[in-house]
Amino acid sequence: MTTIVLIVHGLIAVALLGAITHQAMAICAPPHAKPHSFFGHFRAIPAERFADAIVFLYLASWLLGAFVYLYFKIDIQPYLERDRHWHAMGFFDLKEDFVVIGLGILPAYWLCWRRPVDGQNDRMRMVLTVLLAFIVWWSFLVGHVLNDIRGFGS
Amino acid sequence: MMSVSALRRFAFAFGAAFAFFYVVARLRGLALFTVYPSQGIVLLGTHRSRDFADPVLDFLAPEMYWYGWVASAAVGALVIGLVAALLPDRLSWFWARCVWIVPPIAMIACVYLTIPWFRM
Repeated sequence: MTTIVLIVHGLIAVALLGAITHQAMAICAPPHAKPHSFFGHFRAIPAERFADAIVFLYLASWLLGAFVYLYFKIDIQPYLERDRHWHAMGFFDLKEDFVVIGLGILPAYWLCWRRPVDGQNDRMRMVLTVLLAFIVWWSFLVGHVLNDIRGFGS
Repeated sequence: MMSVSALRRFAFAFGAAFAFFYVVARLRGLALFTVYPSQGIVLLGTHRSRDFADPVLDFLAPEMYWYGWVASAAVGALVIGLVAALLPDRLSWFWARCVWIVPPIAMIACVYLTIPWFRM
């Protein structure tokens, strides 16, 4: 059961990673990028269409992660401590902290993408999206490394 | 029913306050509840296994504060968010600044709090 939840959590994380990366690249791309350039392609799809999906995927991923965390604490953490994977534990601690901070900014992020843009909103939209993208990337990479820790670097 | 501007103030204040209160809860150990996953027990407030049992038996009942920290931060942020929604709209700029300044600072604070893991 836990393994299935962990796999679903990972799959949702992949979808979230794709959506938030696309949106962050679209908003950070130069406004006058050529239509057929690398950045121009990101701008071709309206980035606001990702906002609802990103909020949903973030919440789903967080809920599943919070559920799996219970089993991590009982079944995995003792082995990490026994094998002295202190850095991995530190990175995981940061993951849980960053994810929660991201959870708090989700309503503001969603509103920034839903409401009409003024000058300030545009900048805030960019900052919140890039921040969320960083959190998602960090969480994905740390989760991936922890998932494979017994084979990673050994 | 909240107006759109009140909703914005609520969301911006909530995001900033959530990050702030999470760091405070983590720093001061202020968990609204403590989870003991191996026993399936949830206790209100912050509890430590070593307060009740020998520290060497700590591994038998590992406690989890993370859920409690999130709940503490959510309650604090909800209060601040509601206060912000009730305040006049001319303060909207303040909450808008807070929501993109406080969370990155909170993340840096979390990095600082995690340093002990990297010194082991």
